[in-house]
Amino acid sequence: MKRSLIAVALAFIAATLAAQSQIITTVDPEQAAKVMKIAIPFPELTPPASSANAAPVASEVIHAPFYSVLTRDIAASGVFAIAPIPPNVPASTNLAKQIGADFALKMTVWTERNAQTNADDIVVEARLFDTTGGQPFGKRYRGVVASLSLMAHSLTTDIVRAIYGKPGIFLSRIAFASDRTGNWEIWLMDWDGQNQRQITQHGALSILPSWAPDNERMVYTSFARGTSDMYIVNRRGGGRIRVPTNLALNTSATFSPVGNDIAFVGSVNGNPDIYLIKDDGTNVRRLTTSATIESTPEWSPNGRQISFTSGRSGTPQIYVMDAEGTNVRRISFEGEWNDDAAWSPDGEQLAYTSRVNGRFQIRIMNLVNGQSRIIAGEGSNEQPAWSPDGRWIAFQSNRSGKWQLYRMRIDGNDIQQLTSSGENKEPDWSKKIE
Amino acid sequence: MNNAVKGFLAGVTAIALVMTPACRSKNTKVKDEQVHVQPDTAPTVTIPPHDTAERVQPSEDFVKPSAEPTVTADVLPSNTEELNRYLQDKGLIRDAFFVYADATLSSDAQAALTTSASWLKSNSKYNLLVEGHCDERGTEQYNLALGDKRAQQAKDYLVASGVDASRIRTVSYGEERPFDPGHDEGAWKQNRRAHLVLVGK
Repeated sequence: MKRSLIAVALAFIAATLAAQSQIITTVDPEQAAKVMKIAIPFPELTPPASSANAAPVASEVIHAPFYSVLTRDIAASGVFAIAPIPPNVPASTNLAKQIGADFALKMTVWTERNAQTNADDIVVEARLFDTTGGQPFGKRYRGVVASLSLMAHSLTTDIVRAIYGKPGIFLSRIAFASDRTGNWEIWLMDWDGQNQRQITQHGALSILPSWAPDNERMVYTSFARGTSDMYIVNRRGGGRIRVPTNLALNTSATFSPVGNDIAFVGSVNGNPDIYLIKDDGTNVRRLTTSATIESTPEWSPNGRQISFTSGRSGTPQIYVMDAEGTNVRRISFEGEWNDDAAWSPDGEQLAYTSRVNGRFQIRIMNLVNGQSRIIAGEGSNEQPAWSPDGRWIAFQSNRSGKWQLYRMRIDGNDIQQLTSSGENKEPDWSKKIE
Repeated sequence: MNNAVKGFLAGVTAIALVMTPACRSKNTKVKDEQVHVQPDTAPTVTIPPHDTAERVQPSEDFVKPSAEPTVTADVLPSNTEELNRYLQDKGLIRDAFFVYADATLSSDAQAALTTSASWLKSNSKYNLLVEGHCDERGTEQYNLALGDKRAQQAKDYLVASGVDASRIRTVSYGEERPFDPGHDEGAWKQNRRAHLVLVGK
């Protein structure tokens, strides 16, 4: 019995070290000076004696869905760097001091019978120790096995908030379109590409999802009726409504960050323009009136301006107007095809798709000084979407030969592929951090 | 052309499928709690199952009386697909092709549409769907708008040639439904078009 326990313990340590050696800790350059070291040993698996109905949980149950998710979040946080740890030392102030870390995260995980559901819940108790003996953070999380990754994201979001002052973005989600079922449908995934789930079931071309500011609803375009129509659906796939506009296209729809307006591309007699409509389908207003193509509206974060793409100069270029349709000015001058503009959460930058040397690349324009830079990558790279904290951009690339979604820091580093099943495109990152 | 017909049928089926009762939708937000804890008195936060565990069925489609054109599947002749293939093969109905990033009708495109208009005028029991398509070299969102302009240009020409405007509906697929999946000029040329599809009446 004792020998087998030791073997199990050794297996934990090996797994822990293996997991940690794979973690590449990366930080924003601007954050680098402030990054704090944190030790995160694998959770202890002995239930507290005081807990009734508690039982131990097997390490493999929590390793991938909880511990790996948690350490990846922390490594990507830009706030913490994960410190290498000696084997078999419990997390404590002493451990942090011993290895020169700023913090040590002690976690204990066990299962507990839930009298209501008659199933075993997982309980995670987390305590953060600093080097002075203080405990700046502590909390318990409870959930079913299927919600382990959500528990990990909740914990990392809380820890970053406790130490950094602002929460992490680990509970944010990315909506996108995928053809993996044979039809393009709207899908959703966690910020790290996990838990990909289908939201719409039209069985017909359904594309261009865009989040409402409350993170609850999405607006998108579907050809389910043979025409292209605007739909709103909640993030669980329910509450679906069609928003009738009496216009053609109904594409590139996007919620106002401040009211209940939706900006979209509507068309009358083959003249696509930017329109607004209330989310209950009333009060259609036309914002642009040129005879050329206008497309791809996107609200500034304060809701006062709308960027869009127009062919009025002869090629598709990015423009910005006030939300009433006035004060139009051209933003992009480089490249003969620019589209897909997206505002950074602070409203100071526009990321957009820009053709450079025959290939599309992500360009980031500083609206304050008018300077722009290309984030070059292999293949075509399109449809940038900012993370709610403005540190990451999700985009689509065909660098693998198929359209897939990727995530990178805004300096172009730490590129991670998020999808691989079927083809996937048109990412939109949820707007609120939590 | 097959895609368009399938699209209609799939659309009608999809609408039928969603005519199911709405279910409840529970909020799964994690509640915030206090931060500092003492041993054994730690606050407990209950994390509900993941969204997927309680996915609800889409509720009833929002259908509002409006002037939107509606096409029902039951009036489509069962042989519409074959009829479209036959007319295209015989050159009686011809698609209009475009140059890159442009919606202007070339003389070739006008000739194709003139041919199509004469058949349509003498076969008034059919309605027409004009699909606007683009090649993959643009961006998706702008190309959806460009496809709308292409489809409308073709429709306008057919109407000017004497086809009743009420018989023609347009839709843009942008670059979403390429005819040729290739990545060269040969494929792109095939994919920049206004595609004419008979849809019955």
